[in-house]
Amino acid sequence: MQLLEQILNGITLGSIYALIAIGYTMVYGVIGMINFAHGEVYMVGAFVGLIVMTILSSIGASLVPVYLIAMLLIAILVSSVLGWSIERVAYRPLRGKHRLIPLISAIGMSFFLQNFMQLSQGPRPFAVKQLIPGSFTVSESFSISYMQILIPVVTLVFMVLFTYFISKTKLGVACRATEQDRRMANLLGINTDTIISVIFVIGASLAAVAGVLVSLYYGTVRDTMGFIIGIKAFTAAVLGGIGSIPGAMLGGFVLGFTESFASAYIGGDYKDIVSFVLLLLILLVLPSGLLGKAEIEKV
Amino acid sequence: MLAKFTKSIIAAAMFTFAFVPSSFSADTIKIAIVGPITGPVAQYGKMQMDGASMAVDQINSKGGVNGKKLEAVLLDDVCQPKQAVAVANKVVSRGISFVVGHLCSGSTQPASDIYDEEGVLMITPASTSPEITKRGFEMLFRTIGLDSQQGDVAAKFIIDEIKPKRVAIIHDKQQYGQGLAEVVKKQLNASNVKVVLFEGVTKGSNDFSALISKIKGLDVDFIYYGGYHPELGLILRQARERGLKSRFMGPEGVGNKDISAIAGEASEGLLVTLPADFTTDPANAGLVKAFDDKKLDSSGPFVMPSYAAVQIIADTIAKSKSEDPYTVAKLMKKSTYQTPIGTVAFQKNGDLKAFKFIVYNWHADGTKTPAK
Repeated sequence: MQLLEQILNGITLGSIYALIAIGYTMVYGVIGMINFAHGEVYMVGAFVGLIVMTILSSIGASLVPVYLIAMLLIAILVSSVLGWSIERVAYRPLRGKHRLIPLISAIGMSFFLQNFMQLSQGPRPFAVKQLIPGSFTVSESFSISYMQILIPVVTLVFMVLFTYFISKTKLGVACRATEQDRRMANLLGINTDTIISVIFVIGASLAAVAGVLVSLYYGTVRDTMGFIIGIKAFTAAVLGGIGSIPGAMLGGFVLGFTESFASAYIGGDYKDIVSFVLLLLILLVLPSGLLGKAEIEKV
Repeated sequence: MLAKFTKSIIAAAMFTFAFVPSSFSADTIKIAIVGPITGPVAQYGKMQMDGASMAVDQINSKGGVNGKKLEAVLLDDVCQPKQAVAVANKVVSRGISFVVGHLCSGSTQPASDIYDEEGVLMITPASTSPEITKRGFEMLFRTIGLDSQQGDVAAKFIIDEIKPKRVAIIHDKQQYGQGLAEVVKKQLNASNVKVVLFEGVTKGSNDFSALISKIKGLDVDFIYYGGYHPELGLILRQARERGLKSRFMGPEGVGNKDISAIAGEASEGLLVTLPADFTTDPANAGLVKAFDDKKLDSSGPFVMPSYAAVQIIADTIAKSKSEDPYTVAKLMKKSTYQTPIGTVAFQKNGDLKAFKFIVYNWHADGTKTPAK
């Protein structure tokens, strides 16, 4: 029975990693930089969700779907604006400069956002009340909480929407074109600056979804929550092959499962070690990740 | 042009640094208050800053010490060992001889090496790791109990009152949390209580689902946690959500109203070892009111020990008529003080002669009652 529970734990954790990893991988695919402020966008999304929840409960809303949809939508909206602004303020002015420069800018942005939330909200965890309490009890030793079902379902919905967008819509095609060859896309009449903004907005939206789900699942929101999960999601993106969108999803789940199983059968102390050893092993055999394309360095 | 500009800024900065420290020193007695002002455990730092600053204010309003005012210099070590060393060097370079801090054991340890070498007197109002006073430093004191005392109290309560069959011990892999967990484990083993799981979690992470599933599979009837409230709050909440009904116990690092905010109903019945509640002591009524007047919370576990630390330094300086930290330290070991944490006297290694921990029953509304 523990096995079944651990599988579910892995799916839940993997969903969250996958949602955030997409943001890392898309930005890398297009402008070749790691957006280290991405974890902080997720943190802001979680805070916005909490604020919306507090407002709704103060005006006496009671329907769970109302809460869920309002929290998700407003968090997505605010995070999108944030993602867009980050790109405009911290990265666009540095376009065409050496790769390391926007990287430093990203780290700076990450510190700025974390400290901003710490100063404006306070340096402590904030509790999120349980929106959907309870669980299916299958047997004494095996139960699934409703949140553990909701998280993969919501993740699936957003993944489907996102996959449809990227593969079927005109804007999605433009995104992929920009990713493949920015200069060529530009010559063919795609405004690549706009597309890059769109990519930041999409990444931020998915991170906000993850933020809201996590805050409901674990029940706390705090200023420092973006750091560890940002690193983990980045790992997931590298594991899956950075730049590859299906790779980010796969990497997220692989990491989620590894952590759950390592924690269960090897020991929680070794959870992170096992995950990163796995990452190293995979990168030794497949240097560009599970689904990544071998990159030809253009000189 | 730019290079010239940068150069002049650097020159100006060097000028400022070189001349500021020596320009004012004789007018006040500086006490550095060092703890986490920012970072994940900043709320404990606030307790320390509030308590120490209150003491400084009150002593100054009574005319200071030997005709001089005390000056509190607040410094931030973010509770990180690396930062703590940097701050300690800063204290030394500013010529400050008295420190109230640091807060986290992991910061106090490396910082105290520097203070010992440079002859700075240090009182930590919060670091409870036994390691700290084991090194025979002459000028290191604390106004709080030790993990080993607290762990002993916890273990005794578990063995005598709970009488569990299978115990799980979890900790946060930090000096404080793991240290406590090990003390409890040792005591339980010595009394033949079976510890079936001893495992660390990553500080700052929020997913404990795998650990909880594992504990459920081990058929555990009592769980001890060594660490702070952010992690335990989540563990409690996730455990109850998944139908893990075993009772939990934690140290004073979890005894904070926020644990009820995080864990909600799940925090009901949590056992916590805490220093005796100083705010309910009638002798402290006036002081508690002074905190209330300033809209500060005096109930945190480190507020009164920080107040006491400043008071002890000030009293000893007044008594010895000397600001020399060596003289003050020597006298401190011989003296007895009446402080908000009771009557204080130090052992030779700088630990308190007596510090009382009590087991409390925590409630979902953030209140506590002594456990029977």
